[in-house]
Amino acid sequence: MSTAEFEEVAMMESDLLAARKTTPSELRAENVSVWFGKRKVLENVNIDFPKNTVTALIGPSGCGKSTFIRTLNRLHELIPNAALAGTVLYEGKDIYSADVDPVHIRLQIGMVFQKPNPFPSMTIRGNVLSGLKLSGMKRDNHDDIVEQTLTAAGLWTEVKDRLNHAAGDLSGGQQQRLVIARALAVQPSVLLMDEPCSALDPASTLKIEETIRQLSKEVTIVIVTHNMQQAVRVADNTAFFLAQENEPGHIVEQGLTTDIFGQPQDQRTLDYVNGRFG
Amino acid sequence: MSTMTYQAPMNPDDLVQKPTRPWRQKPRSFTTAVALAVAIPAVISAGLFFYSSIPGALVLTVIFFPLQLLASAIAAWSTRGVRGIADSVIIVNAIGSTVFALVVLLSLIGSLVVRGLRALSAHFVYQNSVFINPSTPLEYGGIGHALLGTILIVGIASLIAVPIGIATAVYITEVRGKAVPYVRFFVQAMSGVPSVVAGLFILTIAVSTGWFSQNAFAGGLAYAILMLPTVARTAEEVLKLIPDELRTGALALGSTRARTVMKVVLPAAKTGIITAILLGIARVIGETAPLLLAAGNNDGTVFNPFGQAIASIPVYIFNNVAVPYPDAVARAWGAALVLMILIAVLFTLARVLGRGRVGRAK
Repeated sequence: MSTAEFEEVAMMESDLLAARKTTPSELRAENVSVWFGKRKVLENVNIDFPKNTVTALIGPSGCGKSTFIRTLNRLHELIPNAALAGTVLYEGKDIYSADVDPVHIRLQIGMVFQKPNPFPSMTIRGNVLSGLKLSGMKRDNHDDIVEQTLTAAGLWTEVKDRLNHAAGDLSGGQQQRLVIARALAVQPSVLLMDEPCSALDPASTLKIEETIRQLSKEVTIVIVTHNMQQAVRVADNTAFFLAQENEPGHIVEQGLTTDIFGQPQDQRTLDYVNGRFG
Repeated sequence: MSTMTYQAPMNPDDLVQKPTRPWRQKPRSFTTAVALAVAIPAVISAGLFFYSSIPGALVLTVIFFPLQLLASAIAAWSTRGVRGIADSVIIVNAIGSTVFALVVLLSLIGSLVVRGLRALSAHFVYQNSVFINPSTPLEYGGIGHALLGTILIVGIASLIAVPIGIATAVYITEVRGKAVPYVRFFVQAMSGVPSVVAGLFILTIAVSTGWFSQNAFAGGLAYAILMLPTVARTAEEVLKLIPDELRTGALALGSTRARTVMKVVLPAAKTGIITAILLGIARVIGETAPLLLAAGNNDGTVFNPFGQAIASIPVYIFNNVAVPYPDAVARAWGAALVLMILIAVLFTLARVLGRGRVGRAK
């Protein structure tokens, strides 16, 4: 392959990547700042989540990543003294404008939490279908939904013979995959994942990552992770959050995952992704 | 340096392992010390009890208990050193308090059974007391009318107090509205209302005004006033124990707050809510004063809760226990025993209903 040919291929690849990055953004945060009481924890976060991409949010603990993704589906406001500035646009519309129903937003922007939270009063099957029941959404073929979502979450083979058992009987890792299946059953167009694999063993983690890659064909995914390799494996884009001591957190650098890990522009990013702090 | 690899002992007996509990093996000196610590105070106290004129209660509290404390402390010190003393003091106190509470409870139930059993018979449970006076022998009459009355009144009180009580708890823990401190204050204040005042309240606002007569419904209203704070406060404590992750989890699935409460939070708290209801019932079921005022009394059986005055077990006991006829007093004890059995049946029933865990044995 000649140098010219090689450059042409490289150009095409970067064009493809660029094209992917510039597809119409589905979710977009503009100048988002967040307070708890008088304490400012996030400052001027600007970030785009293009449709059907995976974006990883990385950064040391306490830099506001989890707080930030909770602003994206209006769970932030459940905390009594929480406050917010800036706008979050979902399909071009501000989700915090007065005429938007948060219930409607949360139905389309689903979330998986760090700690598995299956509903203890329901069976495994009941948990998967709970989103339909709770949101009043009508979908047919409940058996198919249960099988599809549990398969996608990598749990189907383990529980297919005991779908009517209590969800609390599952192990922690199984519970986490169960709540992922539960989040998928309502067919969200955006899925927020707050360290979804922090309680999982490596095998389950791989299954979840496969699921994330598979889902990203039709769902926009935002994932908070402390696992750098995971960010590299699953994310198209990466944003690096950082909070100096007693200062609000902010995005230091964001862009294609390959750039953030391969040729970061900021020294702090370089140090962080190479494990030199945090 | 030689390379040594660990070789497991090849004794064939070791290949089949038997379960052992090494932590239960105690040295012989320990066993002897414990046996002496148990035996010596018991023997001394028993001797004093049988061969001196010191009353038994005094022997138990002033001689046996301190002696047991001392003996256990010495035994602990001799086998485990100084640190054992604190341990032994705490253990002896814990066992002593438990035994004391059990003795009180069992003697209460025991005296109830011993005295109540004389009156207890099949007809005692279902017959009423028409044509029965205090001197009538025990072969006639019963408390069927009072049992029915108590069940009706408690049922009406539950129908009123349980939904309101749970709704109050939901307001405090789930809605978290602006009025929470005031609601909580009033519930707290309500739990201090003396039962006779609840009865007086219903008597003055409903019965004396001629709105309705003394009947099961009026009695149920008076009971509901007493039951409400217990149900509300217990349910509140139970709902507080439900982790917030469940609520956010439901909301993140596009649930409304109402659905979150009805389909996730309350079902998760089911056993606790049942306990709250039971505590509410236990709070009121023996109350006499409100029923004397609001429900009245009757020797015949009344089925209509909105009809005439109705009998109840507490009022029946109240009327029979202070009468100078041994058979009437026996009836009062029998009624008390039936009331205890009724409570036991209710509690067992509720426990069985509440145990139904999700998805087991399907």
